[in-house]
Amino acid sequence: MSLLLGALTLGFIFSLLALGVFISFRIFAFPDITADGSSALGAALAAMLLVHHVNPVLATFAGFAGGFLAGTLTGMLATKFKINGLLAGILVMTGLYSVNLHIMGRSNISVLGSSTLSTYLDRVGTALTRHNTLNVMGWEITSLEASLLIASFLFIVLAGCLMYVFFQTNLGTAMRATGDNHEMVRALGINNENMIILGLGLSNGLIALAGAFIAQYQGFADVQMGIGMVVWGLASVIIGEALVGTKQIGLSITGAVMGSVLFRLLVAMALRLGLNPNDLKLVTALFVFAALVTPELLNRFKTLKPRSFHA
Amino acid sequence: MLELRAVSKTFNPGTPNELRALQAVNLTVDDGLFVVIIGTNGSGKSTLLNAVAGSFFVDSGSISLAAAEITNWPEHRRAKLIGRVFQNPFSGTAANMSIAENLALAAYRGKPRRLDWPLRKPLLGEMRERVSHLNMGLDDRLKNPIGSLSGGQRQALTLLMATWLRPELLLLDEHTAALDPKSADQVIALTDTIVRRHKLTTLMVTHSMHQAANLGDRLIMMHRGRVIQDFRGAEKKRIRVDDLVARFEEVRRAELLDESAAEMLRRVYI
Repeated sequence: MSLLLGALTLGFIFSLLALGVFISFRIFAFPDITADGSSALGAALAAMLLVHHVNPVLATFAGFAGGFLAGTLTGMLATKFKINGLLAGILVMTGLYSVNLHIMGRSNISVLGSSTLSTYLDRVGTALTRHNTLNVMGWEITSLEASLLIASFLFIVLAGCLMYVFFQTNLGTAMRATGDNHEMVRALGINNENMIILGLGLSNGLIALAGAFIAQYQGFADVQMGIGMVVWGLASVIIGEALVGTKQIGLSITGAVMGSVLFRLLVAMALRLGLNPNDLKLVTALFVFAALVTPELLNRFKTLKPRSFHA
Repeated sequence: MLELRAVSKTFNPGTPNELRALQAVNLTVDDGLFVVIIGTNGSGKSTLLNAVAGSFFVDSGSISLAAAEITNWPEHRRAKLIGRVFQNPFSGTAANMSIAENLALAAYRGKPRRLDWPLRKPLLGEMRERVSHLNMGLDDRLKNPIGSLSGGQRQALTLLMATWLRPELLLLDEHTAALDPKSADQVIALTDTIVRRHKLTTLMVTHSMHQAANLGDRLIMMHRGRVIQDFRGAEKKRIRVDDLVARFEEVRRAELLDESAAEMLRRVYI
């Protein structure tokens, strides 16, 4: 049971990663791999501040702000300096590795013993239930697990709604149009470069926020924790698109969240069934590869079929 | 008023592909004038439009529009003054967004994009009304994605978007070249109506002699990056398609003569 709850909670937290990847890859069609660095940056900033007894809400927000800055930096490299988008992301990501080490002072720090969002939620949960454990349909779960799950769910609903509303505003509409047709956007007086910079800032802000939450959830930040984040996020987005389609931004946002949760459940199941954790990233990469090429292969198969019939 | 003074642009300078697309072009267009530009392939007519729109910065010379010196303005800043329709119907609209969202983007041309709501009731009502004037049956389809429309419908919408807010200058770059004849006629009729109704200062590039002869108040002919002919007023009104074809033939023959003369001189002297 706690495996399931853990997977769900992680799924909700990693939804922020999926939403960030959705912004860069889907809305801007920008292959931004800054995420690998910015997620660790969010974790590192939050953990370092927590260890220094900063208010957990402030520390988490600092993680978001750090990721936002990293994203705008990638955006500036790609637009103002005309560096290839993929390379711009690689440069910032590589630089962030050292930055993250400097922030933490070593390769990982623990936040156990500091007051974090998790300890807040534990206190709230215990106060509400007046017990440390709950009985849900015959299963014993801790109030901490329950409150983490509920809080992460509520937060992701709020974040998803905010994101949906944002992309309906004038600014958000201009951003979506930038990813769709930059020629038109410039002809309508929108500075498409600024849109990309701001969009990548938001994207990486969300991803760093996921990192900050993860650090508090698992109790430590590690400089290596960002590796593979882009692929995880992409896997979630792809699963979401398979579930709800790509027609509407609201559906896409819901899909990304659902995809993230489903992806975490699949990972938890695979690990439970004996998948070597070392193989997790390889399996995820293969999954994303398969998801990317399958539609193309199906198309080719469809167009080939009539011809082979005549032959 | 649009004013180009000695505007030059060379692409790929110093390479075998060097192309002197604009050579010290001077052009003054009075307010409310509909100017048609024709020319041979590679004559610089589209380059002229792109130079005004700010797709690139010119090498030398200056451009001013509505009393503003815009030579060094980036493209998105010039868009405050300029409405544009491209040759490619896919270029002027965002395919994955709805008709209403596209129009809303145009309704804020040149204005800051803030966190306010674009699709408000009054604007939606105005959209329905103005789209119904296109007579393309799009009034009830404002929520449909633009990608589901035909090229002609997309060009008509792009024209509507470019003129949603009255532009100081309207640029039309062979905007019917990619359309089937029937849609092209529809879009041309619409163009004439909109330009006349709002008395828009307009530059229209076309490859169609027919359009060149029948539309506009002034006709400019370009060749090799220069303006070689400028018909105005009564003279423009008298122009027929045959006159234009004859003029092009003249240009072509002069060119042939140039080349054969050069060839002869080469043979004699080298």
